[in-house]
Amino acid sequence: MKRRLFGGFLDDLRMVRQSRDVQGRARTPRSALVHESQKRSDGFGTAWARTPTARAARRVLQTGVLKPVTWSQVSPRIEGLDHIEHLRGPVVFVANHSSHLDAPLIIGSVPTRLRQRLAVGAAADYFFDARWRAIITTLIFNAFPIERRGSDRRRSLAPQLLGQGWNLLLFPEGTRSEDGWMAQPRLGPAHLCVQRQVPMVPVILRGTYAAMPRARNWPMPGRQRVIVRYGRPLFPEENEGARGLHQRMVQAMSRLWAEDELGWYGSLRAQAKGELTLPSGPKQITADGSGSAVPSGSWRRSWEASRPLPKETKHSRVWD
Amino acid sequence: MSRPGFVLEVDERTPALLMHEGEGFRLEKLPLGSRVIYPPESLPGFRDVDAEIRRALDAPLGRPPLRELLFAGMRLTIVFDDLSLPLPPMQTPDVRQRVIEQVLELAAAAGVDDVELIAGNSLHRRMTPAELKRTVGERVYRSFFPDHLKNHDAEDKANLTEIGHTKHGEVVEINRRAAESDLIVYVNITLTAMSGGPKSVSVGLASYRSLKHHHNVHTLRHSKSFNDPPNSAMHHSYNRMAALLAENVNIFQIETTVNNSLFPKQMDFLNKREWEWNLKDQAAFLAVRRANELVPPARRRQIWHRNAAPYGITSVTAGAPEEVHPITLRSVLRQQLTEVNGPSDIGIWGLPYICPYNVNSIMNPILVMSLGLGYFFNLYRNQPIVRPGGVAIFYHPVRNEFQSVHHPSYIDFFEEVLAETTDPVAIETKFEEQFATDPWYIHLYRNSYAYHGVHPLYMWYWGAHALEHLGDVIFVGGDRKTTARMGFRSASSLEDALEMARERVGSSPTITYHHTPPVAMADVR
Repeated sequence: MKRRLFGGFLDDLRMVRQSRDVQGRARTPRSALVHESQKRSDGFGTAWARTPTARAARRVLQTGVLKPVTWSQVSPRIEGLDHIEHLRGPVVFVANHSSHLDAPLIIGSVPTRLRQRLAVGAAADYFFDARWRAIITTLIFNAFPIERRGSDRRRSLAPQLLGQGWNLLLFPEGTRSEDGWMAQPRLGPAHLCVQRQVPMVPVILRGTYAAMPRARNWPMPGRQRVIVRYGRPLFPEENEGARGLHQRMVQAMSRLWAEDELGWYGSLRAQAKGELTLPSGPKQITADGSGSAVPSGSWRRSWEASRPLPKETKHSRVWD
Repeated sequence: MSRPGFVLEVDERTPALLMHEGEGFRLEKLPLGSRVIYPPESLPGFRDVDAEIRRALDAPLGRPPLRELLFAGMRLTIVFDDLSLPLPPMQTPDVRQRVIEQVLELAAAAGVDDVELIAGNSLHRRMTPAELKRTVGERVYRSFFPDHLKNHDAEDKANLTEIGHTKHGEVVEINRRAAESDLIVYVNITLTAMSGGPKSVSVGLASYRSLKHHHNVHTLRHSKSFNDPPNSAMHHSYNRMAALLAENVNIFQIETTVNNSLFPKQMDFLNKREWEWNLKDQAAFLAVRRANELVPPARRRQIWHRNAAPYGITSVTAGAPEEVHPITLRSVLRQQLTEVNGPSDIGIWGLPYICPYNVNSIMNPILVMSLGLGYFFNLYRNQPIVRPGGVAIFYHPVRNEFQSVHHPSYIDFFEEVLAETTDPVAIETKFEEQFATDPWYIHLYRNSYAYHGVHPLYMWYWGAHALEHLGDVIFVGGDRKTTARMGFRSASSLEDALEMARERVGSSPTITYHHTPPVAMADVR
């Protein structure tokens, strides 16, 4: 009887858990995407998270819990902070996104002055679909909902927050990468910066997909190495449209990514020659040595992206 | 805003999908690439149902307002659908009660004294007093039962009257009281496109003599499907009979439709798409499934049958039957229709605990057959979801159990007739008259709560089109001996069933799972 009760329960549990994450959410099957319900998340207000009390609580949580835990699980190297040390907000950070580690790494590494007034754009349909999840996300990350599709997109809170002097962290790809490589970023952040005339700081995170890819709820063991690289702020130029700024953002992100393979100067040279594109994964092998990116869905893309960054050795840095 | 129905293609993201299997359900992982037909989401019901009923009675189609048809000294007969509709039964107050109460308010105001209420149960079992009370409500029941609130008796020769013959020679014989009334008000719930309209009076109040013209193997094999009236020989027969009735009796039809909200809030996961289940739904699934398995079978059945659906009413239309019914059908299809691109090699259905003939009763093997190969297989327009020669896989335990009070002739049919043949034509030819005229069955039908003696044969005919169309029928989890008696096969798991089906349809079959209930009607292009 006991075996029937528990054995059957475990079988059922296993069946229910299949294709769901730890929070019990299943990804919408592709053929059902067009039929997804357009949940309105504006019912959940986030203004409370920017009150002095919530800010104080967040400061404790971010510096006392979030950063120590993140830094204990991965081995981050932070680069390019000198570009933003003297930057005055509000500012929009735009980063590639392939892991749940991305936001904690940026929050943990950005200068305190900017962090204390940093709000993070979070997918409304993912982080704000349940009240308890929305409360936790909002409190810890000062998150605000971003509608990824549907007519509610125009009613974003982002311009209002910039107007109130908050810095924003946005992930212009709209979702975490499926395979560790970058998808085409959306125009939204550039529009926002041009509209509000605020600088944009490109950020590249490398190794976070290998350290904690989609479907994992905790980083891989072994404190994998990750890199957070800040680029030079991009100020909207006079008469520059959103597309122009977006283009500069793409170039900057491509160059920041390539620094690991080409070095800083090499990446600048490659950029000058117009050889850089967004990191799109391993190339097809062709007879003439040219070749395009391996198509999406190929195992080679995830395989390459999930390769941990090599461990840093004492000899790898010239000035050590 | 309710989302439309759609066809899901199972991919690696798709979680395990819910399958009903009698008084239970399970999750099943379907092979990648399988298609799953989902009905449209439940449409919003009326906020004020009583106001909609009032509006329908005051502004009927093709008839003057009901109050103008009522007068002192008239004979008024109110007929209502029996307990076979809707499924599961509706939370009280039943919409039939709401309608009947308003009709009676108008009749009382007009000074009508001679009022009879009749359940249109045809050859179904009589409704018990408790079931009648639940359907029409306490006030109506108290005022009319037992003398003027009755079940129709299709074997009470003295109270049947022959209206005439159709051009095709079909006898139309209905309840005498209704036929001789100045006005018949028919109160209907149309759950699927098969019900309502011309079927209401011509079937609900008919006798075996009249029913046998459309409830036969030939007609059902030419009803493709019987849920698609323009292509249903059965409905063509109903139409001919209804036309004859229209010339001879005055019918005021009130039709209602319901949405797809079949399960109460605590079982909400049964109404939702599986990938949209939240933690609460998953916990509810685990808890309900486990508790369901631990409960003794008899208690489990009681619990399931106690489920009353929180339906919303999506339409109320009144007037001349021929004008009312097309509107009702549109409303039904708006709630149920899903377009499907072509048939597949294998169709899968999960059969639930209830069908029209086991409300507060047991779903015996014949009813399982009629639900699967009759009702669910025929939930299509244009062509079945399975290609000719394809395989149907059903989920049901198919236990060899019968309710001896409700289904006495079913037991004999299963033990004696099916032991000899499962061929519908042979059954019809050799056994129909014997079962239809057996005095003991007739006695039980009239005086106990038994379905008519011929009813199990009708249930078998109900699946005649599917039996002719399909190459094989497999029941996952079905009792081996019981399914074999009916000429089907059983498998212990979906994998086994698919393996067996491959013998018939080849090694890489296409698969379609018809995700129902709630009812999804496949429009197969």
